[in-house]
Amino acid sequence: MKTIAFVATFIFLCSADAAEVTYDRLVHAQGNSSEWLTYWGDYGATHFRDLKQINDHNVGQLRLAWLFQTGSQGSNETVPLVANGVMYLTTPDSGVDAVDARSGRRLWHYQYQIPKDAKYCCGNLNRGLAILGRKLYLLTPDTRLLAIDTRNGSVLWNVEVASAAGGAYGGTEAPLIVKDKVVLGTAAGDFGIRGFVDAYDAETGKRVWRFWTIPAPGEKGNETWGGDSWKHGGGATWMTGTYDPQLNTVYWGTGNPAPDLYGDIRPGDNLYTDSVVALDADTGKLKWHFQFTPHDVYDYDATETPMLVDLPWQGKMRKLLLHADRNGFYYVLDRQTGEFLMAKAFLKQTWAKGIDEKGRPIRIPGLDPTAKGTLVCPQCAGGTNWMAPSYSPLTHLYYFNVREGCDVFYSKPPAYKEGTSYWSTSVRAAASERQGGRVTAMDPLTGETKWKFPLYSSPWAGTLATSGNLVFAGDEDGYLMALQADTGKLLWRVNTGNRVVTSPITFELDGKQYVTLPSGGVVLTFALP
Amino acid sequence: MRCAVLALSILLVPVMAQDLATGEAIFNVNCAFCHGTDGSGGRGPNLRGSLRSGNLDADIAKVISNGIPGTAMPKFGLEDDELKSIVMYVQSFRKAAPAVVPVEGDPRAGKRIYEAQGCSRCHEIGNQGSALGPNLSRAGVARSYEYLKTSIVDPSIDIPAEYEPVRIVTQAGKRVQGVWVNEDSFTIQIRLPDESFASFDKQTLKEVAHEKKSTMPAYHLAETDLKNLLAYLSSLTGDTNTTETQKEQRAR
Repeated sequence: MKTIAFVATFIFLCSADAAEVTYDRLVHAQGNSSEWLTYWGDYGATHFRDLKQINDHNVGQLRLAWLFQTGSQGSNETVPLVANGVMYLTTPDSGVDAVDARSGRRLWHYQYQIPKDAKYCCGNLNRGLAILGRKLYLLTPDTRLLAIDTRNGSVLWNVEVASAAGGAYGGTEAPLIVKDKVVLGTAAGDFGIRGFVDAYDAETGKRVWRFWTIPAPGEKGNETWGGDSWKHGGGATWMTGTYDPQLNTVYWGTGNPAPDLYGDIRPGDNLYTDSVVALDADTGKLKWHFQFTPHDVYDYDATETPMLVDLPWQGKMRKLLLHADRNGFYYVLDRQTGEFLMAKAFLKQTWAKGIDEKGRPIRIPGLDPTAKGTLVCPQCAGGTNWMAPSYSPLTHLYYFNVREGCDVFYSKPPAYKEGTSYWSTSVRAAASERQGGRVTAMDPLTGETKWKFPLYSSPWAGTLATSGNLVFAGDEDGYLMALQADTGKLLWRVNTGNRVVTSPITFELDGKQYVTLPSGGVVLTFALP
Repeated sequence: MRCAVLALSILLVPVMAQDLATGEAIFNVNCAFCHGTDGSGGRGPNLRGSLRSGNLDADIAKVISNGIPGTAMPKFGLEDDELKSIVMYVQSFRKAAPAVVPVEGDPRAGKRIYEAQGCSRCHEIGNQGSALGPNLSRAGVARSYEYLKTSIVDPSIDIPAEYEPVRIVTQAGKRVQGVWVNEDSFTIQIRLPDESFASFDKQTLKEVAHEKKSTMPAYHLAETDLKNLLAYLSSLTGDTNTTETQKEQRAR
């Protein structure tokens, strides 16, 4: 009799719906410390959490809570999502794991099989997922968008984003959910593609809009490309953008023009490469753009995070966009209008005298790459790059990893061939300038450095700020470290055994705060004893 | 020269007989668990008759070597001669099987029974339903008729490991039921009836019981209703784990 009653109860409960990740939860992700629902952790990409169980007094006791072996090798650039106590993460070869966030135990695994005949640009790399409702969204290396069931990892649909027939295009980034759409971009700028930002219906996978980062003839901006050079202009969109729900605007960074180091083929400013584009979230129409490096010849992609913060600018609250660019300058823009407010170099740079009052760099002549080589700072991979910066509303500081050093840039005119790289030769590290780095804390309104923590190697890892007066940062030599947020003092470190090429996240479950960082083939999660 | 040919043909006969026996032995170890010792199916499809993935030797070999992605059929890494033997064995009973008896019953009426009985509260067909119990989208090809019938009439006879019912009592006396997902010495993860996952530290639990009785109740349907429901389930051949391919959108 007891058994029958139990079965009846059970069946009755079956009709309840699982807690689903709604758009509203994404909008309020910053205030939800038990989850990490987007690649950047919040729509503005402040990469900050109001969590202080782990703080500058006790972080020295931080220890491994669990470690998850993905069984996959390669450059582990994923940023896990945490929703309803489950962690969702990707592997470089487009595997997806659902892992219990409390214990690290696997709940399910999905492996995307890249078709044997697929051609794509950029190798096997993946930076993570997006989540909405009971779907996860995965952009694959061969540029397909998959919807995957959060409950069991089964594929709900699989659509083509861009034709990879010629071997160009490629997908590496985590998509961004904007209302009922999945917004994403493409890699492969250096394969002479024409970049775009796409939006897909989150329910069906049908494309809703596309914004081309290179305008076609007849469209505004095409006049910034000499001849037919726009056709292979690059302008890839290989990092996740940000979104302002109130302004209904999506912000996306664009990559370099192609060929990267040789500009004579493409006279003009080459819009909208090396820019941030502000797009209408419903239509994909361009609201405004700001180009950081017009007519780039150094491969200074502007795909670094367009961070959205509201701060008092000269005494008046303004909706700002903060951006530390690969070209070595830190910028503040008004994100409503695109107005340039200020720029300041954050490391040694030798290619510009400065930035004029409209935000345009004042170029130093005679520094274009040549066949014999030209020494320019910052290095080709940039003064910073795609790794997450952070902003703490408590310290009012902007934290980011800086890549110091210079390169000798070599250039020769290349020939375009579909499906192959459209480089224009290469760079070599300048022997005179050591390629190191530092974690930097900066006043976001002035660009003044508040403190620096030196790193031996140029980092590819991001930062995470918390209200525990901490900044977590990774480095190229495998360390995850905790620095005191207001002073930069090192309080804790552990070597993960592999280069860190992603950014740490934090969340709290059952009153316990965790810090998670993928590194190599593992995902490490730390907590206090 | 002639002597050599003769010697070869003498050798061939016992080798072939050996193949069939080898095939049977490999089948019993690797395949019978799902397909039945006589190939008539069970947890896996019936192999006696026409096969969904093709009837040629090459078709069967391909399925064995590659598995069927998105289904329970795994890939088997066999040596060439082993593969040939097993294909030969499958063909031996497949071809000998009588013509397939058409399933009695009305699938459309069966679909109404599926809906009326609330099966989708625990099962999923296509994208509709719950992930708590087994997905039935391919029930018609993935399971034999007899297995489906037993699953309805007496579901506790065979509970797949991935759907094992678990009953948990916490130290505080709270009772939680769900389906087993993962477990180690210190923790257990289950899927709750609302389809979400739950994780427990065993230190906080009084009892973890792995139930031998299926979460699914035994259904005592009228004979016609049962036949109709089985006809409906047997008609399900869709594959949920690959795409409902959308029209591909080519880049401009």
